[in-house]
Amino acid sequence: MRLRLWPYFFKQALMNIMGNRTVHVIGLGTMVVSLLIFGTFLILFVNLDSWIQGWGRSLSASIYLQDGVNEADRDKVADFIRDIPGAQIKRFISKEGALRDLRKALGSESGLLDGLSDNPLPASFELVFEDADGQARDLQDIKRELEGMEGVGEVQYSEEWLKRIEGLMSLVGLVGFIIGGLLCLGVLFIVTNTIKLTIYARRDEIEILKLVGATDRFVKVPFLLEGAIQGMFAGLIALLILFSGYLLLSAKKIQFFGVALFDLLFLPREYAFAIILMSLGLGLVGSFIAVGRFFEI
Amino acid sequence: MIQLFHVLKKFGPNVALNDLNLRIRQGGFVFVSGPSGAGKTTLLRLIFGVDRPTSGHILINGINLNRVNRSRLDHLRRKIGFVFQDFKLLAKKTVFENVALALYVTGKGRTFIRKKTHQTLRSVGLSEKENAYPLQLSGGEQQRVAIARAIVKDPLILLADEPTGNLDPDLTEDIMVLFRSVHMKGTTVVVATHSRELLNDTEQRIILLNHGRIVGEK
Repeated sequence: MRLRLWPYFFKQALMNIMGNRTVHVIGLGTMVVSLLIFGTFLILFVNLDSWIQGWGRSLSASIYLQDGVNEADRDKVADFIRDIPGAQIKRFISKEGALRDLRKALGSESGLLDGLSDNPLPASFELVFEDADGQARDLQDIKRELEGMEGVGEVQYSEEWLKRIEGLMSLVGLVGFIIGGLLCLGVLFIVTNTIKLTIYARRDEIEILKLVGATDRFVKVPFLLEGAIQGMFAGLIALLILFSGYLLLSAKKIQFFGVALFDLLFLPREYAFAIILMSLGLGLVGSFIAVGRFFEI
Repeated sequence: MIQLFHVLKKFGPNVALNDLNLRIRQGGFVFVSGPSGAGKTTLLRLIFGVDRPTSGHILINGINLNRVNRSRLDHLRRKIGFVFQDFKLLAKKTVFENVALALYVTGKGRTFIRKKTHQTLRSVGLSEKENAYPLQLSGGEQQRVAIARAIVKDPLILLADEPTGNLDPDLTEDIMVLFRSVHMKGTTVVVATHSRELLNDTEQRIILLNHGRIVGEK
């Protein structure tokens, strides 16, 4: 294809778009809505993933000691913890300290605890892991070893929760993949039909072009560009709306019963770029399908 | 050179051309005449490659149209100018754009296209109407735009289907002058017409068609 023809093709594609404004605006609007749904899902996924990653990085564990544990055993446990790579004792909570914490948490209802003859709460160590990478299996071993030590009652750690949430994330990812796939099919259908309508509107011109010796490629390229331009604009507009929505939401801290949950993240640059590329690609494929069957002239 | 060998063309059960054999030499000027439904338009469309014969062979400068693929046919059409009975002009494009279209498809440079289009429109007397739209022109002017589009690419063959069908005698003569000037440059010209006036004044070869067969030649 001669290079000097490309300005002509672009001009034709833009003229086609301007000449069939209504059809293109409807097609563009529907594409933008589809991409918005997909993009929102992606933002949700990115934020959940980041939240889980953040939580994963700050894994914590609680080691509950048996009542009446002697000081030597407690020190042994503390020494064992200090020897674990990446682990830090955040604090030691004595039995009294645990009760104090519980009273504080109950607030005005703390009177409920006054009837207790004994303090039923165990003393515990709270520890955090600086880096969760490669710790998953170790934590199981550590838990087993700690539970086998003198004076240790029970060990609980956040990994179990993390695994459950990661399972949930896989499900969210799968649902996103299915929704994304369906939306892609929808977008493809929209573009194909938009371009079909513009082909129909220009059938006389196509016939004349063929009669004066235009090759199929010469006739098809402006339509392919038309689809690609529509796709690219739909991607850009959708991203712009998503970003505006993000700015609006991130200006207000997302709160849950007065507690700030997390900072909202926007799509990483490569994801945003991928949305535009995907949208452009869908536009191109859609118009390719539409021009696939041409008038036999 | 245009050669037809035992060409049969059927549209369903209807026979449009029946066992037609014809030879038109390079640089010739031929009128194809006959009553409506004689097969004149079908003959031109077959030569142009818009339709394919049911049987038989058509050779254009030695190229068998039955054996060319679509891409080669597209390129062959660039060497053939066709003036359609209904003009086939694009209403939303200017006179200049309609004519230049035939050059754009060949991938020629912008400067060449502009120069050649201006020159051709001048030769058909439409320099002043370059920026007009077809619907702003008279029938005769539209016909001249259609001729300009057909000849702008300096075709080897010029096919014209009833080019003077709706024109008055003065305009008819203008159009024929244009065809003769194109012919003088070496282009083979084939004009399909049922106009007796046109045929009475000519010394060119006339092929008479009726019911899809050649029934006479002058």
